[in-house]
Amino acid sequence: MNRITCFIRYGVLALAMMFASAAAQAQDFDFDKLNDRVRDVSVIIDIKFEVSFGIHSTEQQDRYLGTVVSEDGLVIFNGSALENESSVATLSGFTMKTTPTRIEVSTLDGTTYTGEYLGVDRYTKLGFIQITDLGDDELKPISFARDVEFTVGDWVALYMLLPEYIEPPLAADVGMVSTLVEQPEPFALTVGFNSLQLTSVLFNEDLEAVGVLGGLFDPGTGGDRGMMESFGSFAMPLLGVISAERLEKIIADPPKKGETDRGWLGITLQALTTDMAEFWDLDVPGGIIVNEVVRNSPAEEAGLEVGDIIIAVNGQPVRVDRDENLTMFQRQIAEMGAGTSVEFTIVRRDGDELDTRQVLATLDKAPLAATDAPEFEVESLEFTVRDLVFGDYMRFNKDPESLSGVIVSEIKQGGLADIGGLRFGDVIQRIGSTGVANLEEAQAAIEQVEQEEPSEVIFFVWRNNKTLFVNVKTDWE
Amino acid sequence: MRRWLLAPLALLLVMGAGHTTLAQPVDQQSIYQARDRVLPALVHIQPVIKNYFTGELEKQAVVGSGVIFHADGYVVTNYHVAGKAARIICTLNDKEQVPAEYIGGDPMTDLAVIKLDLQEYPGEIHAAQFGDSDSLKSGQYVLAMGSPLSLSRTVSAGVISTPDRYFSADVRLPTGEPTGRYNLWIQTDAAINPGNSGGPLVDMNGEVIGINSRATFFANNLGFAIPVNIVKEVSRRILADGEVTRSYLGLHCQAMQELEDYFGTAPNTGVLISSVDPGSPAEETYLRGGDIILQMNGEAVSARFVEELPGFYSRIAELKPGSEVQLQVLRNEETYEFELTTRELGELQGEDFEAREWGFTVKAITRQMQIDNQLDDSTGVFVVGVKSAGPADEGGLIRSDVVKTVNGEKIADLSQFRTLYETMVAEGAERALLTVSRGGSTRYVLLKIDQEAGEDNE
Repeated sequence: MNRITCFIRYGVLALAMMFASAAAQAQDFDFDKLNDRVRDVSVIIDIKFEVSFGIHSTEQQDRYLGTVVSEDGLVIFNGSALENESSVATLSGFTMKTTPTRIEVSTLDGTTYTGEYLGVDRYTKLGFIQITDLGDDELKPISFARDVEFTVGDWVALYMLLPEYIEPPLAADVGMVSTLVEQPEPFALTVGFNSLQLTSVLFNEDLEAVGVLGGLFDPGTGGDRGMMESFGSFAMPLLGVISAERLEKIIADPPKKGETDRGWLGITLQALTTDMAEFWDLDVPGGIIVNEVVRNSPAEEAGLEVGDIIIAVNGQPVRVDRDENLTMFQRQIAEMGAGTSVEFTIVRRDGDELDTRQVLATLDKAPLAATDAPEFEVESLEFTVRDLVFGDYMRFNKDPESLSGVIVSEIKQGGLADIGGLRFGDVIQRIGSTGVANLEEAQAAIEQVEQEEPSEVIFFVWRNNKTLFVNVKTDWE
Repeated sequence: MRRWLLAPLALLLVMGAGHTTLAQPVDQQSIYQARDRVLPALVHIQPVIKNYFTGELEKQAVVGSGVIFHADGYVVTNYHVAGKAARIICTLNDKEQVPAEYIGGDPMTDLAVIKLDLQEYPGEIHAAQFGDSDSLKSGQYVLAMGSPLSLSRTVSAGVISTPDRYFSADVRLPTGEPTGRYNLWIQTDAAINPGNSGGPLVDMNGEVIGINSRATFFANNLGFAIPVNIVKEVSRRILADGEVTRSYLGLHCQAMQELEDYFGTAPNTGVLISSVDPGSPAEETYLRGGDIILQMNGEAVSARFVEELPGFYSRIAELKPGSEVQLQVLRNEETYEFELTTRELGELQGEDFEAREWGFTVKAITRQMQIDNQLDDSTGVFVVGVKSAGPADEGGLIRSDVVKTVNGEKIADLSQFRTLYETMVAEGAERALLTVSRGGSTRYVLLKIDQEAGEDNE
């Protein structure tokens, strides 16, 4: 079972069925033809992955419908379950991490290849797999139709994967474009689909691939909640068409685990609500209030200050008027990419004076997520450490000058380190008598220990804003 | 997980979960004698305590226990029973009710002293005798007295399970203060339940040897009492000064036992510093984690076991604030001399205040709160609670935010906040813009104050 919760699986399915009954109106798909088209470009992906929660880890297996997007074997699928970044609850520090261990990609006519996991796009949840043993085989990729205009009432069809024991494996579904959302972003919303169908390719009645099913909001923070909206006691996904234009950009440069070239400004932010705009006499549809400027970030270099209100990006007004919509702004920055120069129009308040000015910032690469940080597994003592990342410093309210070391990212329950009292989240600052400031130094110190094989290893760690010594008894047999 | 022995009145209905009865070969007469020396001094305490956690001042009737230790009507109980009391009613062992006045308390040892108002009391006051908690033995018979689940005048019997139980310094009272740093606890199997808080633990001589304070969730017969020698000292100081002042250096120490090989020290040598508080005298004197204190003011000190740590902390705490302390410290096999000046530990928590019209409650920020919450400085006021659906809640204020400005005016402390709040409420301000510090970033919270709702509440 992946991270799409049971609630979504069943609750939403039930709900979707309720809505589906209303969708029995005229539509005119040639499903024989569409079925053939879909079979050509579809693959079934079997992924084995390890899920670790700091001290527990389990193996899981899941099955997905994939779509081939390049001749050389690039495949997209629903990557929600593998998207680690969103599950890094930055405030609690609790990390759930999924690591694919084996991937098989099978065409519907039965050829099986080996796949390599590349990464997941944080905002669309598109997962990427590269087939590595294609040899001389060529796969037929999907091609998306661009510049498709939707109107309410247009029909779209998709295919979803059925459970393994059912043959044939694919089932079609149709949905109607229910409304054309204008705010917070233009989006062709459909209410008849469900989250299990996320990232399925959507076809119009001309059997053109017009996009994939995706969420209106960034589902990146708080798991799937970002695209769920509650109506009374029900929750319903806000799903619709991720356009071909957006897809092409992502597919052209698929996300890679451990790397990020998403754009990053380096602020923490809150929305300028209508009430606040009124309070400050600002006649704008929304804005971003700068809450914090990260040291040495593009924001600092551009001269942004705490309290500044960003009201436009490259001349386009910011239409964020509530915190729920902040991700629209964050995604806009992220998708501009690192290295992009962006002009921000800001309002700086000085008492009652409002001063509007332009600042130019060159976006940096977004900092590495904790789950993508380089790790080192100390097999002899049964724990894993990684480098401190930006998110850790934010969570601890520290900076690299005031806190250095390596953080315990996994610890085997009942293992030597666990018994000795080392804890998940401890920042190790000294191993034996050797100070360690980063992963490289920690690795060297551990290798030294492993050579000497002492009966105990003393760690000096930072925990809950205090330091202490931890004695880990060893077992070298 | 430990629960505090404070029983809300509602718990009166929760009965029937009876456990152990002791059938031990103990002389019945000596139990009666011990009982008769203390039971007349037992007090059933019904304070109405002030609770600010929900974002508004709420009063809550609770039940605890206490014991009269002075013929003038002084009663010792737990701080978590009487410390936040708006008013206190006591029922004495003869069932007569008398009001009581709060004299002073010490959250660090969870002790408080109240004084019975005996003007209209017809009876005669019996004071219990304090014994000596330094000579206790495990297995020794004891009686616990108090009002478990509000059932007053309850006596239960058991033994001392261990006289020197250590709890790590992270233990906190229900009101949020850290506690227990300077004392060990007497563990007993005499039945102790919510409502026993503040009641006496009594030996077979009929002397009070501890004040029952806490029990354990999901366990039977694990009760903990504060040793009476601590009670004697703390109550003496509360009677003299109304409070207990302590010296502070900012040291956190760790037992040496498992680290002797690492540091190459002999057993029972030195006290290991594990951590120093930022901005503390210890940090300012460049003491740091890993230093080993060999001598304090010329006397050898050691803490090989955790049970020895409270004693060491107490030695520092008992000094007069501002005292010079000489520490001989072992660092990297060299010995150094350090001279520090202690500071007053000060209040653990600041005074509470309800910003009723704005829908939240705050606390003054003390130096200990600043350290606890990793605050850069002590300016502003600390948000204790936010009333659901009130102006502050709607504006996005959350617990633990620190309010730094109100309408652009910097808030230095609680009194300034209070003045500003009261002025704005009097002026009928409909909007207030707060800037709050939250985890190192500055957020803006706009309060839309509903005037009519405010007036309705008057």
